[in-house]
Amino acid sequence: MLTVIVTGLAIGMLYASIALVYNVMFSTSKVLSVTTGHLSMVGGVFGAYIISVLQMHWLWGLLGAVLAGAAFGWLTDVLAIRRVLARSDEHLWLLSTLALATMVQQAVGLWWGTEPKPFPRLITQEFGAGLMDQKFWLPIGMAIVMAIGLEFFYRKTMYGKVFIAMSEDAFAARARGVSTDKIRLLSYVLSGALGGLAGFAAGQLTFAFFALGHTLTLLGFIALAVGGLGSNIGALIGGAALGLLNSFASYYFGGEYQQTIAVGLLMVVLLIKPEGLLGAKNVRPV
Amino acid sequence: MNSQTTKTLSLIVGAILIATLPFWAGDQYQLHLAALIAVYWILIAGLNLVVGFTGQLSIGHVGLLSIGSYTFAILAGKMGVDPTLSVFVSGLLGGLCGLALGLPSLRLPGFYFAMATMAFSMIVNEIVLAQVDLTGGGIGLPGPMFPKPFESPIGFYYLVTAIALFVTWLTWNIARRMWGRAFISIRDNPVAAQAVGVPVFKAKLLAFVFSGITAGVSGAVFASLQSYITPDTFVFELSMFFFVCIIIGGRGSIIGPFFGTVVLTALPELVSPLAKLGNFFYGLLLLVVVLVVPEGIGRMFEIISERLRPRTVHREPITPDLNRLAKALKVRE
Amino acid sequence: MSAMQSELQAINVSKQFGGLSALDQVSLSLRPGEVHGLIGPNGSGKTTLLNLLSGYYQPTSGAIKLGDEDLSLASVQRRAAVGVARTFQKPRLLPMLSVLENATLGAWSHSESGFVASAVSLPSVAREDKKFLEQTTELLHGVGLGHVIHRRANLLDHAEQRFLEIARGLAMRPSFILLDEPAGGLTTQEIEHLSQVIHTLRSSGIGVLLVEHHTDFVFRISDRVTTLNVGKMIKHGASDEVRTDPEVIRVYLGA
Repeated sequence: MLTVIVTGLAIGMLYASIALVYNVMFSTSKVLSVTTGHLSMVGGVFGAYIISVLQMHWLWGLLGAVLAGAAFGWLTDVLAIRRVLARSDEHLWLLSTLALATMVQQAVGLWWGTEPKPFPRLITQEFGAGLMDQKFWLPIGMAIVMAIGLEFFYRKTMYGKVFIAMSEDAFAARARGVSTDKIRLLSYVLSGALGGLAGFAAGQLTFAFFALGHTLTLLGFIALAVGGLGSNIGALIGGAALGLLNSFASYYFGGEYQQTIAVGLLMVVLLIKPEGLLGAKNVRPV
Repeated sequence: MNSQTTKTLSLIVGAILIATLPFWAGDQYQLHLAALIAVYWILIAGLNLVVGFTGQLSIGHVGLLSIGSYTFAILAGKMGVDPTLSVFVSGLLGGLCGLALGLPSLRLPGFYFAMATMAFSMIVNEIVLAQVDLTGGGIGLPGPMFPKPFESPIGFYYLVTAIALFVTWLTWNIARRMWGRAFISIRDNPVAAQAVGVPVFKAKLLAFVFSGITAGVSGAVFASLQSYITPDTFVFELSMFFFVCIIIGGRGSIIGPFFGTVVLTALPELVSPLAKLGNFFYGLLLLVVVLVVPEGIGRMFEIISERLRPRTVHREPITPDLNRLAKALKVRE
Repeated sequence: MSAMQSELQAINVSKQFGGLSALDQVSLSLRPGEVHGLIGPNGSGKTTLLNLLSGYYQPTSGAIKLGDEDLSLASVQRRAAVGVARTFQKPRLLPMLSVLENATLGAWSHSESGFVASAVSLPSVAREDKKFLEQTTELLHGVGLGHVIHRRANLLDHAEQRFLEIARGLAMRPSFILLDEPAGGLTTQEIEHLSQVIHTLRSSGIGVLLVEHHTDFVFRISDRVTTLNVGKMIKHGASDEVRTDPEVIRVYLGA
């Protein structure tokens, strides 16, 4: 039973991390990017590549994952967001981020292969370590660190405050001299790094698998929607709820209906409270 | 020769080419490809009303295709029901599932809606894999053939082409009249749509259910064409493919997405390096179109022809004809 | 009371947004066959009142009525169906469709063609569409857009867009049309044409609500005028009375 809870929390915290990443990107661009889940996928794959294939120390793998994520985030803004936001059509960014996400997923599939490959141990540990297995507490710890880190960032640092200013009123921010393009780029690079980090931390749970991209985009989004767009605490709660639900459903009904149950949860929440559990009522998710 | 004559002539030529295709197509493979285009187009023509006209970005239609295929394979294959009847049931079930999906999700904002449709296709896949007794699980099911004369490749080609033409005719009728304008208003200016009285949600739902029916029918004949279906046949990337055909062809048109379908289905088959790239290519194409010509490649041709043959826009002042206005306003029945 | 005789009324409406009071107990009645001006400085609540009448907002208190029917909670679509049309400050057009198609959209609520009937192209559908297109063509010539009937809407200049929106509103065959700053960005000549068009609407029995900044224009062509300031009504009545009212002059024209 405890295993079920811990497994659920662990995978849930990966979803929560992705929800956090969504929040960061949304704050400066009002865009929900389809590439969000793929950031984690890339982090996991690059981490595994550097450690397992290049046989380097896991710290290099971590750095590689973060850099790969950051680069992908940068690419997302430059290619899929910048030019598209300038046009008036509201949903073009959905198409451009979908296109980019597909391209990256397929490219990774072509390079890394289409089979999920095991993610290496970061700290030597027996495979029968049970509840204390690093594959559980790595993603849990990572999500908590990210959430705390973001809080600190938003409250104590200049850039964080600028992010918040932009998320509340981008027009006013621009009028005050904030270079919204630069800040948005920064937020995408930051979120890319965070996404890569989250994927790296959860790698032992998910394996390094190219097809994770779209799945994580969706599940991370469910965590976001349940918890409420714009709320980091909500992201953690939503992720935990989703992960635990998946885990319990697997335990009691077999793993066959995971997605069905996850989406069932989403639909119920969205029908009762469309803005999510902790979402602001007037946040206009496009 | 004016543009109306050109259009009519092209349509006639096109119709003749389509009708006689089995006789000038190179080999069985190309005939199979043509039939595949027709099968895809049955789905895409319906999806066009959703994506191209009402502007709802559904990326989950492979789920409806899957439902259509499995319904047909189970009814006509496992249970021995008459294939024609099975096609009807597949269409019906596709429509019902479209209704079940559309009702809760069409009210959601764009990204949420897209994710809901994506989730739907994943759920369908999950259920298909889980219900092993019904669907054969991972092993899949054979796709039954139609009775004579449609079991031969040529006969099957004519069957699916006839269905495709019928569906095209339906969507063309919708597109060029009031409903088409209403759909486009939902896409381009929902506030204006409301202002003239368009029931926005109901209209979106109608288009969506219609697309569910065509997806179901497409699924049925798709199963027959493929002769064997497994869950792996219905990957998310297929949804992407349908979607890209429409965007590339240009929203708000029927012929644009049709050409999009023809080109995108045929291209990887004819240009083999592209086949290896597979879905990367579709993603790249979508990105290029979104960045460069978001209205679709059809529009790109228009822009080019306008550059080549510039029509100077004559600016005339607005001079109301008040008598005519008064008369027009009197017409109230 | 037939719809043609009924008035469109805002009765003691207030509108609050959170803590902000945008309108405070304002009343206005729009009669068929009259031009009723609605003026006030920025932030006076004109647009809010317009949105309340057309259904984009619901009143916090008070009522919106058409004759005997209470429209306060009625949807925007319902208002279109009972004959309330409106234009927008920034024209809301469909850029990829022609002028004719854009305007014909206005006839939507008079269409009896169901989805299925349209799909199979029943003769009644074809007939109805032809009729709508013909009628809209007449309207477009009437407002002065006959020369651009087949032009794509995103190629129109500003004035043409405004007149197109009016034509679309007229295609709804409304009893009332609410014009949201229709003279914005128009030349003197075009404003003159607009006046003539509004005059013709008035003669044919349509009630016109004219929300405007061009006060000369409003006073010249309106029968009655209502003035607002910071959400409250200052004065309403015959155009000449309001124009010469000292408080109106002080608050609005002198400001």
